[in-house]
Amino acid sequence: MSPTRREFLKTSVGTAALASLATCPSSLTAAVGARRDSGDKVLVIVELAGGNDGLNSIIPFEDDIYGRSRTTLRLTRKEVLKINDQLGFHPALKGFRRIFDEGHLSVLQGVGYPKPNGGHDGAVMDWHSAQPHQTNRQTGWVGRVIDSREQLDSDFAPAVVVGQINRPFCLNAERTIVPSINSSRDFVLRSAGNTESLSDHHRRLVESAEPPRTESDNPLLDIVRKNQLSAYSTSRRIDEVIQKIPAMEGHYPQSLLAGKLHTISQLIRAETGIKVFFTGFGGGGIGGFDNHANQRDNHAALLRQLSESVAAFVDDLKRQKLLDRVVLMTFSEFGRTLKENGRKGTGHGSAAPMFLAGGKLKGGLVGEHPSLTELENGGPKHHTDFRRVYATVLDNWLGFDSRPVLGDGFAPLDVFET
Amino acid sequence: MFAQNETKPPPDMKTIDPQWAWSPYQPDTRRPWNLARAGHLYRRAAFGADWNQLQRTLDEGPRRTIERLLAPQADVAAFNQQFDRYETSSAASNSTDALRPWWLMRMMQSPHPLLEKMTLFWHGHFALSGAKVKNTRLMSRYVQQLRGEALGRFDSMLTALSHDPAVLLDRDAGANRKSKPCEHAPRELMAGTCLGNGNFSEKDIQEAARAFTGWFVLKGQVRFIPREYDSDAKQILGERGNFNDTDVVRLLLKQPATPRLLVRKLYRLLISETDEPSDAIVEPLAQSFAAEYDIAALVGLMLRSNLFFSPVAYRRRIKSPVEFTLGIVKGLEATVPAVRLGRDLADLGQNLYEPPTSAGWPGGRHWINPATSLARANLAFALLSPKKPYEGKLDPMAVAQKHGHQTGEAAERFLLDLFLQGDVETTVREAVLKHKRSEPSQELRRTAHIIVSLPEFQLA
Repeated sequence: MSPTRREFLKTSVGTAALASLATCPSSLTAAVGARRDSGDKVLVIVELAGGNDGLNSIIPFEDDIYGRSRTTLRLTRKEVLKINDQLGFHPALKGFRRIFDEGHLSVLQGVGYPKPNGGHDGAVMDWHSAQPHQTNRQTGWVGRVIDSREQLDSDFAPAVVVGQINRPFCLNAERTIVPSINSSRDFVLRSAGNTESLSDHHRRLVESAEPPRTESDNPLLDIVRKNQLSAYSTSRRIDEVIQKIPAMEGHYPQSLLAGKLHTISQLIRAETGIKVFFTGFGGGGIGGFDNHANQRDNHAALLRQLSESVAAFVDDLKRQKLLDRVVLMTFSEFGRTLKENGRKGTGHGSAAPMFLAGGKLKGGLVGEHPSLTELENGGPKHHTDFRRVYATVLDNWLGFDSRPVLGDGFAPLDVFET
Repeated sequence: MFAQNETKPPPDMKTIDPQWAWSPYQPDTRRPWNLARAGHLYRRAAFGADWNQLQRTLDEGPRRTIERLLAPQADVAAFNQQFDRYETSSAASNSTDALRPWWLMRMMQSPHPLLEKMTLFWHGHFALSGAKVKNTRLMSRYVQQLRGEALGRFDSMLTALSHDPAVLLDRDAGANRKSKPCEHAPRELMAGTCLGNGNFSEKDIQEAARAFTGWFVLKGQVRFIPREYDSDAKQILGERGNFNDTDVVRLLLKQPATPRLLVRKLYRLLISETDEPSDAIVEPLAQSFAAEYDIAALVGLMLRSNLFFSPVAYRRRIKSPVEFTLGIVKGLEATVPAVRLGRDLADLGQNLYEPPTSAGWPGGRHWINPATSLARANLAFALLSPKKPYEGKLDPMAVAQKHGHQTGEAAERFLLDLFLQGDVETTVREAVLKHKRSEPSQELRRTAHIIVSLPEFQLA
């Protein structure tokens, strides 16, 4: 180390910003710190767990069958946020309505798959594996994508699970380990503090990994060392973002989902190279989307959380000029039955809308609202296979060939600006 | 020949003389019995060593130490029966979360760590998903089956596992009817467990599937229902007969591909992950293994060998998350809270009872990406922290003092010897040791953290 740099380190400890600089010697930044191409695309997947009621998300308020089938749950022309003279958003989806008007939301209608599974576990496996009805499913669709990368360790992590208790199957990969975090802090090297002795600790950590092992021709040692140095430099960038932007800046609402999306926004901003983020909310239990009884208020609260959180995320990314690099995609294992069940709730249905949010979307409604006379499992029948939506984000957004992952025959949808 | 050159692995593995490779290593002046080789042995044949174990091993030499690691004096059976009972009491829970801490405690405390290491190896080889089996009692029994034969005989293990209820449920073979033979189970047996791809045909799988019909898992018990068994003739792996399930196992064990696949897999565990061994290196071991399928004999032969104690093997393996954390815990002569440890290991990619796919953990360089590298450093920090979440159970200062090192720098050098047998380059050693020393006990925790975060410590 040059004397000037040592002097610099000595004087720099004590203030947080400089201490984090001290953890990353300039030579290290040069070696591994090449910033991401600003064109790098990111996919954020949000699972609405439990089976979201599509018919009360995008509401066919003029359809008599809808009104007749939902005596207590129906939303009227006056209540909905009108999209056109037939369809409207649920009144709790104000945020969605706003980003829809701004051209940042696409509503993909009637999405599902043939012979839909009516049970949660089976349907969840179908959507996560993208291999409906197969036995011996070992990997998830995102897992197969990240396993297919040529350079296995070129990124900090190819995909990350944010704030989930259980590991979602769609990220199950044969070869790639997908980290699971609760906050961006989990990706910051611990010991980073602003007291003198702690930052000295941090410096030693980096400097002891740094020297090339000259006497060794052990390829494993080089792999480990390279990944550590890359990790320490990404950790420093994430730390900087956290320090610079106080918690929940960007006017996120106070909700679990908003907190997760805020974490994702920080990690996108820190140029981590993470391509896919997975998070979710809801669930099968109380407070989830699986509303077999007394659906109205609970469902409205969930949709409000979804719409406000996603709108805040979109606004945040827009302010940071990152929105053009991000697409958020929602999915749910099934929609719900057209008919109410006598307990002011609904049963497990089939097709439902998926939402895409981002800066490069054409926006608007995609596909017809499904018919209410042709039903499957008591809910609307799909006209668009969900694997076409996956193919859309793989082929036309992330730039991965979808065929090895999904198989042939799933043509992408025309949803992106050209 | 490589036998003559001992500083680096040979550029071409084909130049290694198999005769030399598998002959027992005899220390001499060129290849002395030293701390580095003792540490290497304990990393591979156990989960790392504490200071007394390293010293004893230096005194006893490789031959006696390996005998002890293969078959310790202690009452291993009693220890494991006790833990089996702990597991049974947890098996009422409907999640393997209840089992995971017990297995980790076993690994930390067992008088026979090699047995646990081999059990973990077989868990990856006969990989099942607890989430799919959805029966904690059966998952516990399945691992106990593996442990029972982990250093026993592979033919017995294969027979037991091909009728294990957890295995059958995992492989969609819980109701194997004559009209709908399950192909998933024989496919796993042929592709993953025994032969490897390219050594069987689709027809072999279909015919073997018929041989396995009649077996059901009913209320957690395996039952044979004769009327569901397809007793007609089958053609499997070139032989024709009215084969049943035991015949298929026998046919698989007869194939030369089976011992070859297992020798190669054990080579990755015990010798090296960097180079595929040549056929000439594999063949003598495969042939002797096929005679009795004696796992302890094969493992012992590999551990005693010239190859094992050569640069071909030294640090030529990336520690799994279990090996990484237990190496820290063992060195510091304590145990740590195992519930938390199980969760943290899952974050590093090794969730016990939940291998990612039926191919098990791919291991090697797949353990490492920047995110897992960071997670390893942060887990080590948590383990060595004086407070939560691991309650400060690990105390490097107390261990250093116990072994006679009172002052800061002497204690730090001791930790380098304990964890890495002092085998790091000068520049690295300087980077570790060069710092201001203030409060000694805090400092030593930090130094320990730096040492176990070194690239060198990630290697086994």
